[in-house]
Amino acid sequence: MRTPTKIVETAPPGIIGTSSPRLDRRDKVAGTFEYGADAIRPGMLWGRLRRSEIPHGIIRSIDISHAVALPGVRSVITGEDTVDFLASRLIRDEPIIAHERVRYHGEPVAAVAADTEEIAEEACRLITVEYQPLPIIHDTGEALADGAPLIHPNWESYWAAPLVRRNGNVMSHASLKRGDVASAFAAAPHVFEDHYDVSMVHQVSLEGRVAIAEFDSDGNVHVWSSHQYPFGLRQDLADILHIPVGKIRVTITGVGGGFGGKLYAGVEPYCVLLSQRTRRPVKMRFTRDEEMIATSPRTGARVSLRTAVDETGRFLAREGVIHYDSGAYSASSPSIVSVGLLALPGPYRWKALSIDAMAVYTNKANCGSYRAPGAPQAVFAGESQIDKIARSLDIDPFDLRMMNAVEDGDLGPTGQVLNSVSLKETLKVAAEAIGWTEPRQHGRGKGLACSWWTTTGGASSAYIRLDEDGSFVLVVGGTEIGTGALTAGVAQICAGELGIDPEELQLISADTEVTPYDFGAQGSRTTVQIGNAVIKATADLKSQMFEVAAGELGIDPDRLELADKQIRSRDDPTRALELSEVARLGASRGGLLGRGSHLQPPTAFDEAAVEGAVFGVFNTPSFGTHACEIEVDADTGEATLHRYLVVQDVGKVINPLYAKGQLSGGAVQGIGQALFEELSYRDGVVANPNLTDYKVPTIVDVPEVETILVERPSPTGPYGAKGVGETGIIAPTACIANGIYDAVGVQVTRTPLTAQRIWEALHSDT
Amino acid sequence: MTLIPLELRVNGAVHQIQVTPGAFLLDVLRDDLGLQGTKEACAEGECGACTVLIDGRAVTSCIYFAAQAQGHEITTIEGLSDDGLLQPLQQAFADLGAVQCGFCTPGLVMAATGLLDQSPNPSAAEVREGLAGNLCRCTGYGNIVWAVLDAAMQRGREPL
Repeated sequence: MRTPTKIVETAPPGIIGTSSPRLDRRDKVAGTFEYGADAIRPGMLWGRLRRSEIPHGIIRSIDISHAVALPGVRSVITGEDTVDFLASRLIRDEPIIAHERVRYHGEPVAAVAADTEEIAEEACRLITVEYQPLPIIHDTGEALADGAPLIHPNWESYWAAPLVRRNGNVMSHASLKRGDVASAFAAAPHVFEDHYDVSMVHQVSLEGRVAIAEFDSDGNVHVWSSHQYPFGLRQDLADILHIPVGKIRVTITGVGGGFGGKLYAGVEPYCVLLSQRTRRPVKMRFTRDEEMIATSPRTGARVSLRTAVDETGRFLAREGVIHYDSGAYSASSPSIVSVGLLALPGPYRWKALSIDAMAVYTNKANCGSYRAPGAPQAVFAGESQIDKIARSLDIDPFDLRMMNAVEDGDLGPTGQVLNSVSLKETLKVAAEAIGWTEPRQHGRGKGLACSWWTTTGGASSAYIRLDEDGSFVLVVGGTEIGTGALTAGVAQICAGELGIDPEELQLISADTEVTPYDFGAQGSRTTVQIGNAVIKATADLKSQMFEVAAGELGIDPDRLELADKQIRSRDDPTRALELSEVARLGASRGGLLGRGSHLQPPTAFDEAAVEGAVFGVFNTPSFGTHACEIEVDADTGEATLHRYLVVQDVGKVINPLYAKGQLSGGAVQGIGQALFEELSYRDGVVANPNLTDYKVPTIVDVPEVETILVERPSPTGPYGAKGVGETGIIAPTACIANGIYDAVGVQVTRTPLTAQRIWEALHSDT
Repeated sequence: MTLIPLELRVNGAVHQIQVTPGAFLLDVLRDDLGLQGTKEACAEGECGACTVLIDGRAVTSCIYFAAQAQGHEITTIEGLSDDGLLQPLQQAFADLGAVQCGFCTPGLVMAATGLLDQSPNPSAAEVREGLAGNLCRCTGYGNIVWAVLDAAMQRGREPL
């Protein structure tokens, strides 16, 4: 068994592993924390979008004359003005304002800047658009049918990243082929074939997308935005609007929720264009209705899978096809298909795998990233089918998972060598905590579901400055989107390395002109990757401090240490300099500034087995098991969740309060997806674009999520930490479906698992 | 557009302003009075982010006409912390992990303040019932319940 080697053997004593409070808490509870929604610039105009009323059609004409004539209107732009401005990162298929045709209900067809938001809204109403409707492609089945009309007739002419495999209405197709699947199925005593359907769901950040753009007289534009990835946004704006990166500054405001929905350019290109034309700052915010109809929700999916199993229940081979219903434009879907390859096999041993994951164009809002994008859909199918196999072979679902779970040294689905694997431990802890072996109460069932997930790599950098009063300033390009990853986790790592309280640290983040590069608040990476960069930056700063103090104290730098806010001799602690003295000495030589950058080395995998995948491997994977107890009223189909439990391996916990906060928050979003949430389309139009009809779980809908942390240190994270942020949302749909299956003996294969669907499943055979 | 004069008493201070007859209290608080602690998230009274107290009772200010508030005592999140000193409820939210992105927090703190003023020793179930109109998308709610129960205990210890 391999022993993980940590990059730093031990965490500094004291603060790591404690529930140290986050630095932004006081402003947030006092109501003084400034979000994007609160930002104001002098002389600011308001922007607003006119959106398509139809899901698919040719734009015959647009008449903006009445809008332009409305007093207070400063600029009106249409697709004619933005012909060359195309998003997104992996396929440039999305005109930022529709040109010639619209492909989903809610697609922007014009943008207006006016003195007030009301005038801008009125101007949008005054724009007349004539369409020639085209047939609506409602779902992936229609899009993939023989002879289906192409949603993008010119798809071949689009620029796309070379790795992306495309064909007509398939915007991206990733596949994984390992082992001899045909022989495995031919020889298998048991083969199971099932289909699962997963609804499209929305992040529902309470703060919608909002930004301000302002040009200076030299043509530089400053963008303030509620966004997760300032450097990504800057590059997006440069690529879409053909403005040099160096002329764009992105400053992140307070962020009122992200969950992956604020990773790509959203509202910002319109602010920049309107500001460029009016020479005034322009603010734009999306209403809740706009958020629900036109901003990167999680794809719905249809998952078909066949699984071959031997006499004893050992998994042999799995063949799976995922059709992600990705909507009208690509956004992050070309990378989401990669997730399907890794999530559908799950954390189990296989002799052979054949997985195809396709992102398919349909006439819906372009889907994007939502916390663990692509995974819950696959895991709902994979883990539901495991319980079906278990029941069919009369094996306990817990035993079936234990029998097939990966361990240290096993290979992942794409051939990576797994280490610090804790799946069996999380399974055992979860089963014990939920009382798995206890007899079920009448009408109640228990469910289990396992998953694994990545800690995304990408570069992070940090600066740490020692100021003349002896205080430290940490400067990072990451973004605090609410998780606590930066204001708790990273601050704790920094404080721990410097032997101070996090409260004494000043944190500056997320400004492309001030802070060093970071790959963004995405992929469960912030605490791990920025944490690693911070450890390196503190080491650099310490060596600079020792150098300065060594000259003053006449002691070799190697014999110095930082302790009790002094640089002092390891041999004689009375020979010491206060940090403020070190800082003043340092300032006279040009200042003390530690620098650290971290880029996790790529994880090796069987590259020949994978095609069309933007990434083929989960870096520093973590493992978890969810368990629930649920009651089903067989007369009505109504399900009541009594207990929900998350057991997650976090490698090494940096801050238990906020690590658990990620798990419970993610789990409740997942419970929402399991039981309530569905962005519902009728004839190509979102039927529930508001929080009355789209059911986000309230405080009375969910039990308190129980969370248990398992620590199996990773070789790559700070002190062994693994990513946490996205993990909680992956397994709940499957876990709850399995609980319902256990309670009433029928499996519901379409989410959300509403009372109606449970009732129908119960009565489908009679 | 016709404007009507309005006298609003907010956090103990009297404001004389001119508003349109259909102006909602939320917009007047945020745009006319500069009290941006109160948030807008759904604009239809569904999520509770805009919760303020009117005579101690929690209302969703995004669907509450400003004119209705005349003659009543309005309390917003800014009215809770005197000189930067946090109330036990705010402190409990801050300390116990009840805050992540924080966009729902002002509304939740106001709703919970209204709840504890009316029911100083609520059970966990009563806390949940009392906050059923406030959505939080980050925390999963568990720590919010604990924070309110903790604050109820703290408030109980204070001399009356």
